[in-house]
Amino acid sequence: MKLNPHFLFVVIMASAFYSIAAKADDLIVSIVEPYVDFRTGPASEYPIFHVAEQGETITIFKKKTGWYKAITYTGQEGWISAEQLGKTIKPSGELLYVPTGSFEDYTNRTFEFSAFGGILESVTAMSVAAAWNVTGNLVAEATYTQALGDFSENKLWSIRIQHHIFPEWKVSPYLTIGAGGINTRPRSNLVQSGDEVRKSDFYEVGAGIRYYFARNMVIKFEYRNIIALTDRDDQEQIEEFKLGFSVFF
Amino acid sequence: MKFNRNVVLSTAVVLSIGLFNAHVFAQGSSVKGSSVKSAARSMQANTDQPPALIDPNIQRREINESDIDTEDLEIGIFGGFIAIEDFESSAVVGVSLAYHINENLFLEARYAQATAGQTSFEKLSGGAPFLTEEERDYTYYNLSLGYNINGETFFTDNVVFNSDIYFTLGAGSTKFGGDERFTISAGAGYRLLLTDFWALKVDVRDHVFSSDIIGVEKDVHNIAITLSTTFFF
Repeated sequence: MKLNPHFLFVVIMASAFYSIAAKADDLIVSIVEPYVDFRTGPASEYPIFHVAEQGETITIFKKKTGWYKAITYTGQEGWISAEQLGKTIKPSGELLYVPTGSFEDYTNRTFEFSAFGGILESVTAMSVAAAWNVTGNLVAEATYTQALGDFSENKLWSIRIQHHIFPEWKVSPYLTIGAGGINTRPRSNLVQSGDEVRKSDFYEVGAGIRYYFARNMVIKFEYRNIIALTDRDDQEQIEEFKLGFSVFF
Repeated sequence: MKFNRNVVLSTAVVLSIGLFNAHVFAQGSSVKGSSVKSAARSMQANTDQPPALIDPNIQRREINESDIDTEDLEIGIFGGFIAIEDFESSAVVGVSLAYHINENLFLEARYAQATAGQTSFEKLSGGAPFLTEEERDYTYYNLSLGYNINGETFFTDNVVFNSDIYFTLGAGSTKFGGDERFTISAGAGYRLLLTDFWALKVDVRDHVFSSDIIGVEKDVHNIAITLSTTFFF
């Protein structure tokens, strides 16, 4: 079995990313609430095995989703919740700010990653998108869509701008405009020669609605209308409906 | 204009490593540079009075929640077997990258490749093969949403590891027999966390797509059983 160069590429990129993630600092906080629960694992299902009391100083050195690994001065190591950590104070005496994936954290997001399932001209399509929140209202986004139908394989990418008209609403409409490219390849059993890939550029406009659903998650429904600039006399119009969700950082 | 793919890939890799690690190199040199400069400055400034042995004005560096090491991403490699419907079962290897949204939900991308064998018909008849060697390359990727049921595994009274059983549902594509097909995948697995950042996983996943390679269009089920090792970072 020969290894695909993409495969190696992914492995090497991942190891490069690992080196940026390796930087870390320990955070020392004091407990001002009556107590803080220490659990054996990073989830609310895990049992509480220790309780650190008011006035104690604990060191936080690791984070996994909404859970923080802490060590007490007696050497007890356990996981505490973001909610409880948010009620501790820093050595300077200030309350520690801990993001909990709230709606407020969402409006202050920098990056957002989305995955969608949908219909592109009666063919099942899946899309992924990465977005950068430029201002509260304007979001720059790169998308990739794949629609594998019975007659052809379509791959679309686009760069676009989203305009969120009322970003402060939990259910909020937005408009998009962008440009991209589409690759269409007929099924091999329909075309004997196989690789007759058609490439065209396109413009797209669309509208969507997003709903802040729960901690760290947003649900989106979107429509877009694509005008493909083909080599033929007529331009092709493609419609897509999709439903998906996003996570944000 | 045509570029050699390997040249482009390797240039990208070198650039990315350089970029991502630039701060490490930069930090090293700036620390050295600034300490030398400040030492020199204090020597100049203190020519008429004895130099202070200890500088009492140490700046306490403010550490915040965002400085804590976050381990929400899970990267892994896996290997195992995949039963490719009509085409025997083969070894499969792949990579995975997951993002843990919260303690229960995660999003996982997988890419894997295998080489399909021969159909029973090809073997028994000894006739012309259905597929060329290149068309037997079986590659797939998918993006799944997973749900963890958290727990602990007790090997003995004192040897205890955190673990979870998870279920995944995803969509993606499979490239096989000269075609690329929309593929739905579903499965379940067991993750054993040997340390906070290192896990072993056993995973069973079915990949369903519609195929007409052997003549009639039908839904094929390709079940993969894999063992992975993953790292959180």
